Amino acid sequence: MRPVGLGTGLPEGRDLDGLLTLVARGDESAFASLYDQLAGPVYGLVRRVVRDPAQSEEVAQEVLLEVWRAASRFNASRGSAVTWVMTIAHRRAVDRVRSAVAAAEREQKTSWLLAARDEVAETVEASLERERVRRCLDGLTDLQRESVTLAYYGGYSYREVAGLLGAALGTVKTRIRDGLIRLRDCMGVT
Amino acid sequence: MPVLRQDLHILTGAYAVDAIHDESERGRFERHLRRCKPCDSEVRGLGSTAARLGLAASRPPPPQMRGRVLAAVARTRQLPPVTDHHSLRGARPGRIPRLTWAVAAVSLAAILVLAVAVFRVQHQLNQARSENRAIAAVLAAPDARAVTKVTSVGGTATVVFSLGRHSMIFTSAGLPPLSSGRVYELWLIGPPRIRPAGLLAVGPAGRSVPVLAGGVVRGDQVGLTVEPAGGTRQPTTTPVLVVPLPS
Repeated sequence: MRPVGLGTGLPEGRDLDGLLTLVARGDESAFASLYDQLAGPVYGLVRRVVRDPAQSEEVAQEVLLEVWRAASRFNASRGSAVTWVMTIAHRRAVDRVRSAVAAAEREQKTSWLLAARDEVAETVEASLERERVRRCLDGLTDLQRESVTLAYYGGYSYREVAGLLGAALGTVKTRIRDGLIRLRDCMGVT
Repeated sequence: MPVLRQDLHILTGAYAVDAIHDESERGRFERHLRRCKPCDSEVRGLGSTAARLGLAASRPPPPQMRGRVLAAVARTRQLPPVTDHHSLRGARPGRIPRLTWAVAAVSLAAILVLAVAVFRVQHQLNQARSENRAIAAVLAAPDARAVTKVTSVGGTATVVFSLGRHSMIFTSAGLPPLSSGRVYELWLIGPPRIRPAGLLAVGPAGRSVPVLAGGVVRGDQVGLTVEPAGGTRQPTTTPVLVVPLPS
């Protein structure tokens, strides 16, 4: 039976690393299992950053195909499979937003800012993971939280974040870093 | 200089959340990472932390996506492992060209492109005739105006537009030729969204065949980007030209 969605908790880290190793050897059914566990997180993250459903679907498909294509490049000694996949997803989503923004000459900056802020509030969902992330985000200072979420969920560069928050560049660089460090410690990331 | 190094070190967080968009700055930081073990392990930890933020955004994907991805997988060759790698983030994959995806995916887009091609063949003659008439109509419109601008890659572009007729004609001269597999694509950039407005056929003298686009509304800008052959649905590169249409 296929695991349903990914609404609750984390995908099983160790299993995914093993699956990805099989995928690297061309095992399509291993990829299908990987898909069932990671399509939700990938699509959700891309959707959060890109927002447009059709474009999000397109980017999420690219990401998952890239996971298949580049599976042999995954190196378990440098991080988990989940992190690897989510890193690809985030980078692709940011790429998409940046090219669209560049083309539109950043007209919609304000609405994206507001959207990013709304979405943070929407993370109050039932799942344990969401709950834990929310609690950890609550433990940050306002400036840390806004810097981290605008950069990560909003897809902004730290320069843009500084502009949006009216803060100095150095301050924002520092707040993103110490905000993430505090989140890392709060979530118990190893 | 210690001050500089510390300044670079502070970028671990921004790097982990892909917030260093300036490529030369990112390159500088990546070179620093190669020499700075503590920075590298910090980036990894912060990267896992960022991934957790990503997991918290999980939501069910559209149901039709699974079949599409698995079909694309069945017809996509995988990359060989890196045997001699100094790759910084080890796992960092190359980017697949959009075209590969387009070819690989059994997507609606591909079917549409095919349908359009068939349509074009069938209606080539009629279309040419009616397009000439349509271009003449825009040129003759009482509110027709022309804007000429130099592109960032050289050459000039002229846009003749009529808001009354919701149309514009794009012509250019002196655009540099592109490598095969690339094409100039036109866009109508409006506050609500960006719409593709056609591909440029550039002749030997760098003079393009006039392109007629409809659906022009007040506030639109005309943009030109370089895209993979066949064009894309949304621009993927920085425009070489943006022409605001004054109302």
